Amino acid sequence: MPAAQDSILAELTEMINAVLGDFAEDQAVTMDTTFQGDLGMESIDVVSLAGRLQARYGDTVNFAHFVAKLDLETVGELRVGQLVEHIATSLAGADADEVGAGSR
Amino acid sequence: MVPANGITLHVQRLDPTGPAPGGRTGPTPAAVLIHGMASDTMASWYFTMAEPLARAGFPTVLYDLRGHGRSERPATGYALDDLVDDLAALLAGLDVTGPLLLLGNSFGATIAFGYAARHPDRVAGIVAVESAPPTPEWMRRVRVRLDRVAARLPQRGALAEIGVARGRVAARRAAETGRMLADTTLAQELPASRLPTTEALAAIGCPVLCVYGGASAVRELAPAVRGLLPQARVVVLPEQRHTVLIDRPEEVRRLVFAWLAEECSLDVARSTTA
Repeated sequence: MPAAQDSILAELTEMINAVLGDFAEDQAVTMDTTFQGDLGMESIDVVSLAGRLQARYGDTVNFAHFVAKLDLETVGELRVGQLVEHIATSLAGADADEVGAGSR
Repeated sequence: MVPANGITLHVQRLDPTGPAPGGRTGPTPAAVLIHGMASDTMASWYFTMAEPLARAGFPTVLYDLRGHGRSERPATGYALDDLVDDLAALLAGLDVTGPLLLLGNSFGATIAFGYAARHPDRVAGIVAVESAPPTPEWMRRVRVRLDRVAARLPQRGALAEIGVARGRVAARRAAETGRMLADTTLAQELPASRLPTTEALAAIGCPVLCVYGGASAVRELAPAVRGLLPQARVVVLPEQRHTVLIDRPEEVRRLVFAWLAEECSLDVARSTTA
């Protein structure tokens, strides 16, 4: 895994634990961890995570646009790695890609 | 998190990512998405309509109602007036001062109608998914639904049953709903709400879109809604249930954008086809 993705995964893991609070289970979060099946995250937890991503990365990472392509059913099958890759791609392309600029 | 009406509400805002809708003079309305009561949160809107509305050029606001999702859960204050006050205070706190497009799922739309009855000049349009204005008949049904949930969830084995049938996440959500109904006066206060007068509801003059599921009992209210608000466009999606927003988001999106263009002079065709 590239170094950038490594550090994004570490940050994301902290955010996930903060969102889950008392429900956070003592398990390692990896690229293959699923938000719903493995972490037991509800859809509102994912929205809450979106708020933290927006606070951390600002306009660069458009989480709303990313998840708009998923519906409520498949958002549960989302893997942590998919989000890490999306963040890494967004950050790498932030200078070049004006079209994909974020929601706020 | 935003302070409003003495409590703290969980809010998410999406700024428009597309050009403002054409065909209308004046400021573009802000889209405000209001979820349903008891087991719902802003997630129902976040994953269905929020991003498409932002892409169509609408500044978009989502929030968790008091007691729900990540918002604060005071023990009392769950009458319709409280919920309308929360919305009014939230918009003031966010400095959203222009016209509003209110989209409500289930009881969320009832809050939208309640807001419009008190602030008729602010509302440019209302989308009501599986809902009705706050009439005595609708509130009677809300009471029956809330009583049923409040009676079932504390029963021994109820959560385990939900877990087996629908999985761990559904069981966790049901447990959360049970806690809310046990820790608050929602199930008692809400059905006993003071209601707007029939005249105040009938005076809501903005365009209205009502979407019902053909297999949902809520659709039985459609004739009364038409009687009260003759301008309402009423669409019944065959075989759909009360969860039509989540089960058929693409159809709901299509209906909303067609109605925006045809009834609200908000032509979003350009941005939604992109």
